[in-house]
Amino acid sequence: MKILRFVLVIFLLFSLGNLNAKESNKLNEITKNLRCLICQGQSVYDSDSEFANSIKIIIDKKLDDGLSEDEIYEYFKKKYGEWILYDPALNKNTYILWLLPLLIFLFGGAIIFKKLIKK
Amino acid sequence: MIYSVFGYYSLIIGLIIGLSLFYFSYKNFNNSSILDTKILSFTFLQFFFVVISFLCLIFSFVVSDFSNETVFNNSHTTKPLFYKISGTWGNHEGSLLLWLLVLTLFVLLFLVRTKNQPVKYKILTLVFQQIIIVGFFLFLILTSNPFNYIFPIPTEGLGLNPILQDPALAIHPPILYLGYVGSSIIFSSVLAATSLKIISTNWAVHIKKWILISWIFLTLGILLGSIWAYYELGWGGFWFWDPVENVSLMPWLALTTLLHCILVLEKKSILTSWVIILSIATFTLSMCGTFLVRSGILNSVHTFANDPERGLFILIFLFILIFLSILIFFFFHKDNYRKSYNFFWLSKETSILINNWFMMYFLSVVLIGTVYPIFLDVISSQKISVGPPFYHKLMIPFLIPFLIMMAIGPKLKWIKSQLEDKIYLISFLIISILLAYLILKNFNQNILINTILISSALYLFFITLRDFFVKKYKNISQNIAHFGFSLLILSILFNNIFASEIITNLKVGETFENSKTKIVFESVDQKKEKNYNAIIANFSISNLNGEEDIFSPELRIYNQPVIATSEADIKTTLMSDKFIVINLVQNQDFFNVRYQVKPFMLWIWLSVILISFGGIVSFLQKRS
Repeated sequence: MKILRFVLVIFLLFSLGNLNAKESNKLNEITKNLRCLICQGQSVYDSDSEFANSIKIIIDKKLDDGLSEDEIYEYFKKKYGEWILYDPALNKNTYILWLLPLLIFLFGGAIIFKKLIKK
Repeated sequence: MIYSVFGYYSLIIGLIIGLSLFYFSYKNFNNSSILDTKILSFTFLQFFFVVISFLCLIFSFVVSDFSNETVFNNSHTTKPLFYKISGTWGNHEGSLLLWLLVLTLFVLLFLVRTKNQPVKYKILTLVFQQIIIVGFFLFLILTSNPFNYIFPIPTEGLGLNPILQDPALAIHPPILYLGYVGSSIIFSSVLAATSLKIISTNWAVHIKKWILISWIFLTLGILLGSIWAYYELGWGGFWFWDPVENVSLMPWLALTTLLHCILVLEKKSILTSWVIILSIATFTLSMCGTFLVRSGILNSVHTFANDPERGLFILIFLFILIFLSILIFFFFHKDNYRKSYNFFWLSKETSILINNWFMMYFLSVVLIGTVYPIFLDVISSQKISVGPPFYHKLMIPFLIPFLIMMAIGPKLKWIKSQLEDKIYLISFLIISILLAYLILKNFNQNILINTILISSALYLFFITLRDFFVKKYKNISQNIAHFGFSLLILSILFNNIFASEIITNLKVGETFENSKTKIVFESVDQKKEKNYNAIIANFSISNLNGEEDIFSPELRIYNQPVIATSEADIKTTLMSDKFIVINLVQNQDFFNVRYQVKPFMLWIWLSVILISFGGIVSFLQKRS
């Protein structure tokens, strides 16, 4: 048992040593969270349409101008509406979206808890 | 021509048989204690006629009979035979005919294979199944007849969407449908068993096999779709939280919950109401999936038929089925087990309840995330998008306790138990956390959450791995599936964290070089095939260790219909995938090149296969 575990640990460490580190790329991060408006359910990151390419160029410029990630999202939201953001912000339109699953979780927990303490 | 006639009338005959089966069932139900042979032979005949109809549609595609509207819309004479055949179910009408085929197949198998159950139960299951079957016959004949005529007869068809011309996608729908539609038989038999009040441990053993069949096919069907998306949609991802993917994930989550819940019912005769609700939910979600995809209200890469009339029909049909099942649930189901069963904190029952709790939460996240944008659009005409960040934020934190429960839960005994091997459990936890930290310490992105996540997945990995070597441990199928799941989560995490990517623009002859990778764009070739023309770009890519690979991604221009696609070139090895895809940039003479190294890609597929293998083992196991 112990030998097996040891071998496994070594194996994992070695195999991971070969992998490349990901260069943190802000452009990719941002484009993954934007919808390509002319495509069918693709993000800007995934798409190579003209729309997506022009968005990528705009983001590149904005990043060079020193805008933060949030400022860039805000810019696109103003220009194209909320539809472009894949990560909807918490506001009066999206309370249900964000909170209902959590409420369901609490509700389920309450039911199980009740079952458990009932003697 | 002749095939269309045969196909269409086979459907009509199938419908008539379906209606007559109601009559025979009614007669048999009241008068006899053995199953009428007429019922069996009529069910077989119905299946037979649907097969005929399906074969007719296939033949129409094979001979390119363009007097048939479905063939005209989805085929072309220049297509290879294989894709002519797979085109049969690559469209709305054909895929519904496939639904019907699987529906009739399952009810036939159910009647033949079910032994040791009351005849009334079998007949009633047949009746409920026939309600669904007749509904689909009507849907097919009234709104989406696959055998419509066109006159004058066109000389050439419109062709099949090129992204559907692919071997994985040719078998993806039939496998997925076996899972989807397989849940119909669970639905029907649950309603029958509820009406007859025979839900018991004995019934649970019998229905578990059907749940497993459905679950195995659904798992494999989703896997095939995911593999296809990975290499065909051309951007290297394998799961996009696309509405249509979500729609296949929801029945899977419900079915997995049901599978765990039935384990309790098998032993204890408790949680009966919950089993009924889950069975109804699974099938309803499958139907909802069909509705959402067919009605075209989803914005998705997969949508290939938009017709509000069809959507309305499915919606009404769905409401009838839900209404019927609620009616049966409230009128017939009485929880007879009033003796108030006691759950203890440390017991298998409780751990399965907790599994159900988390699964239901995951299901609600996917359901709300998929449906809410449509809902908001309808009531306030505001459009929002719900994408991967939403699902990740709501799911990943909950995955951590879920994984740990998956490791510990199966070790508990029924009724009341003590945790054995505490030293093992704790030492494995410490090892997992240390290991996760060691792996991640050089990568400074989100180190905290990733360390916790990876250590919980590693924990499940080690615990299940150890259990393979412990002799007294009996439940091998469960262990395989849980081990597969830990491997899946680990592969996905490593795949995400350690992936690297280069995006650049290159002309022929140019070279891209950074500290780790050198990409040389060697040359461009052209290729002519029957159904497309292609530009093939040849790259040689070398890494630090001096390993060199030759890649030839393609740009294809399909002739029918004229659509350009990018074909990625992927080199798969045990530890990582290298993935390259090119795109033409308009009015420029360079290509947009995207090169990705994706570690553990193969392991994602293998672990899903392992998970379903756990299901297969459980299916084959004889009950001791």
